[in-house]
Amino acid sequence: MLRYIGKKIGIFVIFMGLLSMFVFILARLAPGDPLLSFYGEGVERMSTEEHLAARQRLGLDETLPVQYIRWVDNAVHGDFGISYKYKQPASVILMALLGNTLLLGTVAYVSVFVLAVLLAVFCTLYEDTWVDRIICKMGTIVYYLPPFWLGLLLILLFSVNLHWLPSGGAYDTGRSNDLLNRLQHMILPLMVMVTSHLWYYTYMIRNKLLDEVRRDYVLLAKAKGMSGYSIVWHHCLRNVAPSITSIMAISITHILSGTYVVEAVFAYPGIGALSIESAKYHDYNLLMLVVLITGALVILSSLLAQTINECLDPRMRSEGDSIWQKMKTL
Amino acid sequence: MDNILELNHLSVSFHTAQGEVEAVRNVSLTLKKGEVLALVGESGCGKSVLCKSVMKLLPPNAFVKNGSIVAAGEDITQFSEERMRCLRGTRFSMVFQDPMLSLNPTIPIGKQIMEMICLHRKVGRQTARQQALQLLYLVGLEEPEQRFSLQPHYFSGGMRQRCVLAIALAAQPQMLFADEPTTALDVTMQAQIIDLLRDIQKKLQLSIVFISHDLGVVARIANRVAIMYAGKIVEIGTAEDIFYDPRHPYTWGLLRALPSFVPRGGRLHNIPGMPPSLLHPPQGDAFAVRNAYAMKIDYEKMPPFYKISDTHSAATWLLDARAPYIRRPELLHGESRESIG
Ligand SMILES: Nc1ncnc2c1ncn2[C@@H]1O[C@H](COP(=O)(O)OP(=O)(O)OP(=O)(O)O)[C@@H](O)[C@H]1O
Ligand SMILES: [Mg+2]
Repeated sequence: MLRYIGKKIGIFVIFMGLLSMFVFILARLAPGDPLLSFYGEGVERMSTEEHLAARQRLGLDETLPVQYIRWVDNAVHGDFGISYKYKQPASVILMALLGNTLLLGTVAYVSVFVLAVLLAVFCTLYEDTWVDRIICKMGTIVYYLPPFWLGLLLILLFSVNLHWLPSGGAYDTGRSNDLLNRLQHMILPLMVMVTSHLWYYTYMIRNKLLDEVRRDYVLLAKAKGMSGYSIVWHHCLRNVAPSITSIMAISITHILSGTYVVEAVFAYPGIGALSIESAKYHDYNLLMLVVLITGALVILSSLLAQTINECLDPRMRSEGDSIWQKMKTL
Repeated sequence: MDNILELNHLSVSFHTAQGEVEAVRNVSLTLKKGEVLALVGESGCGKSVLCKSVMKLLPPNAFVKNGSIVAAGEDITQFSEERMRCLRGTRFSMVFQDPMLSLNPTIPIGKQIMEMICLHRKVGRQTARQQALQLLYLVGLEEPEQRFSLQPHYFSGGMRQRCVLAIALAAQPQMLFADEPTTALDVTMQAQIIDLLRDIQKKLQLSIVFISHDLGVVARIANRVAIMYAGKIVEIGTAEDIFYDPRHPYTWGLLRALPSFVPRGGRLHNIPGMPPSLLHPPQGDAFAVRNAYAMKIDYEKMPPFYKISDTHSAATWLLDARAPYIRRPELLHGESRESIG
């Protein structure tokens, strides 16, 4: 068990190290002047000496390896540098926006899976009817609708034409604690995320359920006098719960990446929008932090998915053991 | 009402990509109250389909082509799914062949029984629990209290089949379909379950349709026996009729294939050949091609039922007045004769 956790932590650390190095170098290789985002238009009026001094102050005059080692040293002590654009510690900026992204992502994630399970149960009960077939085909259709295009379409319809919903942002200015206001702003982004992710997961869960309703115990449940609905709901769903869990674990990154695209379309102030912005303005410190947080989320969720799948793997399943007992044997 | 179940000229078919599979063809039979009727035949002859068609548990590609099903005096042939749901469990219930597969692996045994009780009776959880425990005692599960909240995988095949039986009995059905309840079990377990079923049948005055392909098992429990071949009943009679005075060559074959009925040192008989496909059943007697005594007419025309006695009839041309006399092969010998009964 300890070795197992140690291994996972090791993978995490190595991955983060490589990622930070990669992004660090890549960001500095991109053409453009980081001073522009720090000093704005003023940079053009600076003399060469002033320019050099400014670079020195930001620590940009050293060689790349030295800069990187200094960054790592600071980062380990919790200092991720300041954002050139916002002139504030990068971590403060990030923290302000991370909440927005996590809120949107979590709500989207939960609604996708709640709806997917409900639709999958529906499809299972009405297997091979026209409704079932349409729902199964939706995945393929939506695959050809890019989310940003869908987003623009929705803005056009609900904001521009109908004036029902705001076209962007996370809340109206000064109402950041107004939950209702936040929800209003989340509806359109959520619609895009749900329509682009729902069908695929519905289809996967439906297929798991269809395998399940072919099994013998379902016939016995039917012979007991149970309705099709309550058999699927009370018996089958419970038995496919492990598969759904592992699908859900794998999909975390998938839905998170969806959030980034949607944030850009709806100008939703989250770390997705922030990452695009910081790359554009050569805001190195902020960019590093955003990428690392994203990377950490991705690898943590895939480690989680891996762990869950390993626990559910039939080869590791000894009858009657709880998940924790199973993990001890690893 | 004397007949708890009446099937009148029932035919059940499946739509398949290859065409219509005639799984049950023109079956008529009755089940009396408190009677055990055994349904015997080779694999694929339509025994399970017959029972499932009564409970309407067949897949959607199956359909009742002809005939009627009368359960407890009520014609249920055209009943909707909703109305069937109320009858399943109370009027009839079913024990399936493989106890390893017929229980939900993730739900504790006790809960699976309680579910059935709560479904059909307005009782509280505590009462339902009490009743479920009583059922587990009835089916002879040892230490039911301790085992009440265990999942099925803690149980052996025999114990699981007892639990399935408890579920089947939970809503006090009038009749029980036992679809090869012992085939998946080892021999000692088989005997135990059969005896249990017989005891319970006596205690509750239950009517049972007992499916088997083994006449030896049937001899332990059945009052009446129906022999099925290729979707049709070919001979039906009391257990005595079938074991001591079988008339259909197929019944002879089945009896000769029983290990315990073979004389010491004698050879075990097999019925040569395979049952016909039910996709395009032959127009004459389906058994003709495997029948050593087949006559020309067997290939051309389906034999009608000939009545041998009030309880006994068989469908074979050998019973026709015009047929030559055929001495039936020796089936029963010395000590094995005593083991029946
Ligand atoms: N879903 C189905 N679709 C098409 N044909 C079917 C289907 N289920 C059963 N059949 C056909 O019906 C016939 C009778 O099957 P059934 O299961 O009743 O046999 P059985 O007598 O119970 O045999 P066994 O002893 O193996 O259980 C078989 O020949 C089979 O081909
Ligand atoms: Mg069968």
